[in-house]
Amino acid sequence: MAEKRYAMVIDVRRCISCFACSVACKAEMKVPLEVFATWLKIVEKGQDPNAQRFVLPRLCNNCGNPICTRNCPTRATWQREDGIVLVDQHRCIGCKYCIASCPYDVRYVNPLKNLVQKCYWCHHRLDAGLVPACVETCPTRALTFGDVNDPKSEVSKLLATSATQVLKKEMQTEPFVYYIGADEVAMSNVEEEINYYTESTLIKIRI
Amino acid sequence: MEQPDINVVYNVKHQLPLIIYIGQYFFFTGLSAGSFVISVIATLLGRKEFKPIGKITAILAPILLIIAPLNLIADLEQPLRFWHLFLYYNWTSPITYGSFLLTAYPIMGIIYAIMVYTNRQTAAKILGILGIPLAISVHGYTGFILALAKARALWNTAAMPTIFLVSAMVSGIGLVVIVAAIRWKWFDKKATPEQREQDKRLILQLAQFMAYTIMLDLFLVVSDILVLLTAHSDALEAGMLILTGNFAPLFVGVEIILGALIPMVLVLGPTRKSLTAAVVASILVNIGVYAMRFVMVIGGQTIPLS
Ligand code: SF4
Ligand code: SF4
Repeated sequence: MAEKRYAMVIDVRRCISCFACSVACKAEMKVPLEVFATWLKIVEKGQDPNAQRFVLPRLCNNCGNPICTRNCPTRATWQREDGIVLVDQHRCIGCKYCIASCPYDVRYVNPLKNLVQKCYWCHHRLDAGLVPACVETCPTRALTFGDVNDPKSEVSKLLATSATQVLKKEMQTEPFVYYIGADEVAMSNVEEEINYYTESTLIKIRI
Repeated sequence: MEQPDINVVYNVKHQLPLIIYIGQYFFFTGLSAGSFVISVIATLLGRKEFKPIGKITAILAPILLIIAPLNLIADLEQPLRFWHLFLYYNWTSPITYGSFLLTAYPIMGIIYAIMVYTNRQTAAKILGILGIPLAISVHGYTGFILALAKARALWNTAAMPTIFLVSAMVSGIGLVVIVAAIRWKWFDKKATPEQREQDKRLILQLAQFMAYTIMLDLFLVVSDILVLLTAHSDALEAGMLILTGNFAPLFVGVEIILGALIPMVLVLGPTRKSLTAAVVASILVNIGVYAMRFVMVIGGQTIPLS
């Protein structure tokens, strides 16, 4: 059998926007306030009373060709053989170049530790034979996790039988988070540019 | 078809990774590379009247390049770990090229300055010729830092390294004009009147050279924007951001009008014989280039990714 290559399939049609994945992630990975490793993007189309809501669970794609790994100057960001992209917390210097390079805005600076972190697909749980905390928690089983190289795994079956999409395929990062039934508007950036002048981060002196 | 109203109800945006320090760092390396190139040109031409300029710039280049990386270290989340850059290099990352270039170049610059000051012409010439590729790569790689961070449409263009190089030349020459004019005004009293006249002509010539580099810079910026406006949707958004969006006042107002067009008129127009005009133009040019760094680094990140 080929080597393991983990992937996640998110069936957006099942998602009820309960944020359980986000909460489970916060508890499992001790993600501080202000930052998120996984969250839901919710977009509303149309005016009341005919408004429709569309949701898109977001997390690091643990890409097949990750730009963050390529651009990290210290090799603190590295990729395991099973595809999980990790950040070595003892080596990262916090240059944030990986955050600037990642097309998905999924990395963050941990404000308590001043280190760059992201979703690692709970590699410690995987190594213990469990699934990631978000997958475990999801009450509607919208998240499926497994090995794409194993034809009998649940993700392989889903990938073989459903129409799937990935975020920003044109970026050549080969995302390994697949979406079923995601809305096109929710998958693209629909917001106005961030107004930098009103952000308090213009000059943030760090000590 | 009428697009339905679209509102983002909830989304997470993480803090912009690269802040003003990075822009400032680009600005200082640019100044340094620009003044180094001028110094080497002056040394290579070897004429006596170029000596003072060669000397001033030889000392400016390493000083600026010692200031520049301090900005980088200040921007790190873990400044005390900066030595990881050398120990755990990664050859696919432009920052790694940078950390080695940024070490080699000031050392080279200091040796070169010593040679220039002790009048060892041949050694200075050889070092200068070797140093120019180094100076160019020190600044060129900063363009690659932005260009290779593929997420941001404003950065991810092949023109970026060249734009950075040319604007470095512009601001570097501007700085040399300012410093040379200060020297001419207050520290050049011993020279004979003819010599002073000659020095002044030289400064004015430099200012004119600056105007020509501004033209090249404008050409590159315009071609970059034209391509952005015709490329994919993210690129269009990036182009509109600096032409009409939040960053338009800084880009069109400060970078293009104040920092390029007005100095060009000052230096090539009816005031071309005046030293004051040359100095004012040089100051404006430096403000413009600083604004350019700001627009590129910060503006490029304000386009949301999701
Ligand atoms: S989504 Fe971004 S952070 Fe995650 S592996 Fe891909 S490039 Fe890296
Ligand atoms: S912030 Fe850390 S993980 Fe990211 S590129 Fe820099 S050293 Fe690598």
